[in-house]
Amino acid sequence: MSKINITNFTIDGRSVTANHGETILNVARREGIYIPTMCYIEKTTPCASCRLCSVEAVGVDGFVLSCNTPPTEGIEIVTNSDSLQTERTNIMKLYDVNHPLECGVCDKSGECDLQNKTLEFDVSQQNFTARDQERSIENWGLINYNPSLCILCEKCTHVCNEVIGDDAIDLQFGGYKSKVVPKDSDILDCTFCGECIAVCPVGALVSSEFQYSANAWELSKIPATCAHCSAGCSLEYEVKTVGAATAGQSEIMRVTNNFEFTSLCGAGRFGFDFDKRDVKDVNEFNKAIEKFKSANAIKFTSMVTNEEAMILNALKEKLGLKLFNEEARNYQKFMRAYSKVSGKLHHSATLDAVKQSDAAIVIGSRISTDNPGVRYALTTASRHNGAKVIYLHPMEDALMQNVVTQMIRYEVGTEEGVLALIAKALLTEADLDETSQNFLNSLDDGYLCAESNVGEEELEMIQKSLRRTKNRVIILGNDVINHDRAENIARIAALIEEYTDFSLLIVPSEVNTLGVSLICDLDEETSVNSVVGYNAKADYTVASFGEADLNVAALNQQEGTFVSVDNQVLPTNVAIAYEGYTLNEIAGALGVEAEYSIDYTPQLPQTSGFKATAFDDLENFLTHDGKDVRGYILDNVNREKSVKFEQIADLPEFNGTVIYSSNPVLQFNPYTADAKQLESDISLRGSAQFAAAARIADGDEVEIQTSLSSVIRVFKLDAELKGTVALNPNFDLGLERTLGSYRYEIAKINRVSN
Amino acid sequence: MSKVFFSTWRGEAINNSKVDVEKWEESAYNLPQQYNEHSSSKAFIGWDGVALFQEDVDVVRLATEYAAQYQVYSEACGRCAPGRWGGRILYDLLDKIARGEGDRADMDHLKEVGRNMQLTSKCEIGKTVPTPLLDLMEHFEDAFIDCIDNKKASKDYQADINYIAKITAPCTDACPAHVDIPGYIEGVRDLRFDDSLRATRQTMPLAHVCGRVCPHPCEDECRRTNLDSPISIMELKRLGADYETDHGFGFFHPAEKKPDNGKKVAIVGAGPAGLTTAYYLALDGVQCDVYEELAVLGGEVAVGVPEYRMPVDKYNQDIQSVKDLGVNFIVNTKVTADMLRQFEKDYDAIMLGFGTRLSKKVRCGNERPEVQGYWGAIDFLDKVNLYEKYGYKVDEETQKQQMLPTDFVDLTGKIVACVGGGFTSMDVVRCSIRAGAKKVIMIYRRDEKTIIRNTTYEEYHEAVEEGVEFIFHSAVNEMKDENDVLKSLDIDKFELVPDPNGGRPQLVKIEGATFNQEVDYLIPAVSQAANLDLLPEEWELEMTSWATLLTNGTDYMTSRKGVFATGDCEYGPMTIVNAVGQAKRAASVMTRYLQTGEITLSDDEIMEDHLRKMKVYDKKEKVTGWLPGLLRQESEKLDVDVRKDNNKEVNLGFTQEEALSEADRCMRCYYIAMVAM
Repeated sequence: MSKINITNFTIDGRSVTANHGETILNVARREGIYIPTMCYIEKTTPCASCRLCSVEAVGVDGFVLSCNTPPTEGIEIVTNSDSLQTERTNIMKLYDVNHPLECGVCDKSGECDLQNKTLEFDVSQQNFTARDQERSIENWGLINYNPSLCILCEKCTHVCNEVIGDDAIDLQFGGYKSKVVPKDSDILDCTFCGECIAVCPVGALVSSEFQYSANAWELSKIPATCAHCSAGCSLEYEVKTVGAATAGQSEIMRVTNNFEFTSLCGAGRFGFDFDKRDVKDVNEFNKAIEKFKSANAIKFTSMVTNEEAMILNALKEKLGLKLFNEEARNYQKFMRAYSKVSGKLHHSATLDAVKQSDAAIVIGSRISTDNPGVRYALTTASRHNGAKVIYLHPMEDALMQNVVTQMIRYEVGTEEGVLALIAKALLTEADLDETSQNFLNSLDDGYLCAESNVGEEELEMIQKSLRRTKNRVIILGNDVINHDRAENIARIAALIEEYTDFSLLIVPSEVNTLGVSLICDLDEETSVNSVVGYNAKADYTVASFGEADLNVAALNQQEGTFVSVDNQVLPTNVAIAYEGYTLNEIAGALGVEAEYSIDYTPQLPQTSGFKATAFDDLENFLTHDGKDVRGYILDNVNREKSVKFEQIADLPEFNGTVIYSSNPVLQFNPYTADAKQLESDISLRGSAQFAAAARIADGDEVEIQTSLSSVIRVFKLDAELKGTVALNPNFDLGLERTLGSYRYEIAKINRVSN
Repeated sequence: MSKVFFSTWRGEAINNSKVDVEKWEESAYNLPQQYNEHSSSKAFIGWDGVALFQEDVDVVRLATEYAAQYQVYSEACGRCAPGRWGGRILYDLLDKIARGEGDRADMDHLKEVGRNMQLTSKCEIGKTVPTPLLDLMEHFEDAFIDCIDNKKASKDYQADINYIAKITAPCTDACPAHVDIPGYIEGVRDLRFDDSLRATRQTMPLAHVCGRVCPHPCEDECRRTNLDSPISIMELKRLGADYETDHGFGFFHPAEKKPDNGKKVAIVGAGPAGLTTAYYLALDGVQCDVYEELAVLGGEVAVGVPEYRMPVDKYNQDIQSVKDLGVNFIVNTKVTADMLRQFEKDYDAIMLGFGTRLSKKVRCGNERPEVQGYWGAIDFLDKVNLYEKYGYKVDEETQKQQMLPTDFVDLTGKIVACVGGGFTSMDVVRCSIRAGAKKVIMIYRRDEKTIIRNTTYEEYHEAVEEGVEFIFHSAVNEMKDENDVLKSLDIDKFELVPDPNGGRPQLVKIEGATFNQEVDYLIPAVSQAANLDLLPEEWELEMTSWATLLTNGTDYMTSRKGVFATGDCEYGPMTIVNAVGQAKRAASVMTRYLQTGEITLSDDEIMEDHLRKMKVYDKKEKVTGWLPGLLRQESEKLDVDVRKDNNKEVNLGFTQEEALSEADRCMRCYYIAMVAM
């Protein structure tokens, strides 16, 4: 069916064009023509409740709503007239009826849409009224809701459902008595992303912690990149200087974001207070320098900026050390194998591609907690594009149920076989090169299906549900990157990307795994003496969290860059100045000298796609129509192809009780563990079946013994889980956190007797 | 025509204030002057004006109560700023005046707020509520001023007057099942597909089915037609249903199932009428046993409507939603008179919903059922669908009688003629194409326009595409057989001769135009009749003149107390949505009957019937406040070459993008109607 893609029309006499799917308001905003709104938010479907955006169309009686009406060819739109002004003013009078005059003690004062529009339409007095009503303020944990202040714009309910996917709040219809309520529940049961607070145009939904702690105009905004996962969300730390006595001492009061176009999870929004406070301890510093000099290796995690990674790599070269980071090395290995088949250094998809998709296949990640940015992109795709989302994982995830259209539960450990089966299903009609075709032909489908527990009907259903889809993406996560067979899995993934119209997104686990993997020459971790840890536990430990020998600045106290899952180099800034030592100072003492860490920004390796752009030349904002111009996208780098596959290895079996290293909502790492607003649930969560297999009960204190470690946790029965795999967090383990191994482990579970 | 004292309904201006009662000018509209057999109304007030049936109506209170009804309505809405707060101010100010506490400035504010609502509200209810209020304030200004200036309450302010209101919409009114269409479309628009489905299921449990095979009478009364073209209402129903199916949430019922109330109902037939009755009774806590003659559930939608129009896996989801409420199904059980006698003892009520499953004859010469190749449409479609959808093979007797080479309906190389013109005949010819027939002919007495009106444009057009030959203005004169094997048909041709007196044109046979057509099969699909063998004779159930069960068409009880009838066995062969609408109403009547033993209609149902009589849709109305010229979305259909030799679903439905664009065209034409008693 042919569609008219461009519509020509005029707004206030100016000739404009609308692209397919654009409304009158979209075009007006793009063209910089002002139409007032109270309820409109760019990233959701129009709520159409405020009616302020009504416009006139020449030849049409009455007003036309601009937010949800696409223009017709040749129509002449008028955005302002006496009668529009009158009716918009009348609407503002209605908005102001009984709105409490408590701006002096309202959190939103100074940045309130109602305040602004009341001024704009000059509603200085109210000559009619309605009977007032008794309403009480509700506390929903991190969120407070005041129905008297609520103007019922529905932005909060729309984002919760359409962008986040929690679908946890609803408008309780009651005309004048309408209010926002937890959906189908007495208490708010959600992931506490705080998106509702962000989009609230008035002071109805506020952060309970922030409330009454500062005025909007007292806060300075520090543009930064979230330090918790690889999504690279843009945020602003809002900082207040605390008291004149301790001049210069400041505190992060809250985190905000450009909610019109971007989103944050609760860890980003509420988990901001992980800054480290310290002073310079010269003795310890000197000791650290000695430790580095006598070290055989540096072990570090990917909770570092690109610049720190570069310094560590320079130290390796300078001091002739080994550099250990198994998690980033696994990612590196995965991507190198991928490059051999794809001929490219970087995967092809972005979060935006996920948002635009109408079909997505997710394999090997508990994506809702591994990377909420991907989850939100999938929610957007699901709601707005009706995307078919095929989710392959050994465990169901209740958070994903309203997004996932097909859940395929595979057996733990069989990811290689699963991806091979998917490849075969997706490549039935592809014209493959001989090597690839031979590889697919050689697959023993019967064996793979039987051992992985992926049925033929399930594969057929994938084909069926993909039938009408056009924008497809395949998303791979931690469980394939850190798999024993990661390299062959990467080759198969590259094969799919190469020969189908699927784009590929590979989701690294840590905030800057990607950057580290592109910058550092990593060594296989072996047992050596005298290891210095950087944000990792070692013989001598330098870290921005936990019990370290020498403290350094946390990631909200540093200038520098990260590389996000979008292959985008993103700048971040200092929210709170750090008074202690930094890695750059340590390196300086060791002969790797630069005045500032960010002197390394333009030196990041161009062979990996980095640009020679100075830190101060990197932008860090979104344009008025939502274009993300932060930092830059890594250049494409071509690699030499050498297409070879290994036979699929025998699929392993994980019998008995298995634990899965997976953090609860809002928790990622020691930073989030330190954040005082974030709930910190460190229990082992499993199903009734798991409890039966392990012979434990809800509330039992249990010892979890694996081949690598042993930890004691309280067991919690989780009705949403099934099967014999339990979720075991690691965010609370501080420097002891092990990364870079396959997340499933067979575990012996013993009840600890008191 | 209604006798009125005063009316501004639909733009009329009747004021009989200075006229003798006998000489009152009448309203041109069928207004609900007589509320029900017991009571008459004082006034009717609605979206398009107000009518007073008596002289002494307290108009100030009437206006206040109408504004109050908007407050009650907005308990279920309040989704725009003008409606939410404006509506409240209308009510507060009117009540202030009616109490005797108003002042003249309040009248100005009412007019100002009213106009703002008319111009800017989100839905028609907000736009139209001020209309009759402003009418009353204009024509009866004295009454308002009297209350204000003399600081006195309106004359009936404390009186015991019953005000009964009903929310409707043109599409909802036109739908036989009165589905809350603006509600489910709003769910799509808001991307709240669960809410969308719940809105549908309030009155329509078969969301997958009626998102596909409904002839959508609602679209003929969609107000958007007055602006450009009607909303594609039917297909938007699929989104909610698909959401539920795709995500495995269980079922989004419109309300929580009530606890078992100890009442039991027997339902005969598991078609749309039976399923719907069971669904709503079960929701109300009634235990339902549904008896089904066939091995499969679903009635004609299962064994009549072909897979390519109604995929059985989708229908099974609808059926599963009924099962989910604990309804008990007993299949392979043909109910007999003796069983019905026993049901009357064992159950608290009986619903008859056994449909019309006897194919009527075409009334031609030599029309003998024993002739091989003569095959009734119902049995033909049974055999096709039972095999294609459920894998039941054709029994040997039928194989032999119908000369089938194998155990399914294989018509390879055969010539099939069907006589009909309705949906059933379309299913027959298109299934014949899919069964491999080399030539398929539809013999129809009337013309192309009529067949489209009786089915849908899509249905006819798709059949033509697939190669069905339509012979219009024709009828079978005689079947020709050799040794009881059908060989050919003599077919008469007719022409339309205009009636010189201006009446309906007559079909007149064209002499000499009769021709012989070689055929292997003649499939009569002219109409179906109910098989009434199961009815106990001594019940002496009253029948319609076309041999279906007689009810009064509003409460669906037959002439025997406690025995109800809905669907085709009551109405005659009709649409799915008709059966659903009847059964939904009957279930509501039955829930009250089971508790009280009385047959009653609720006020909501009485108003529903009044509004349908008045007809909510006004095709002459000029629509304002919407940009005309936004095209109706058309969903993708499978290419004829890809579809005609298999059972793949033909209509692929909307893409999400198309659905959202289409939903955005909906104008939410909710209205409030109110009667004062």
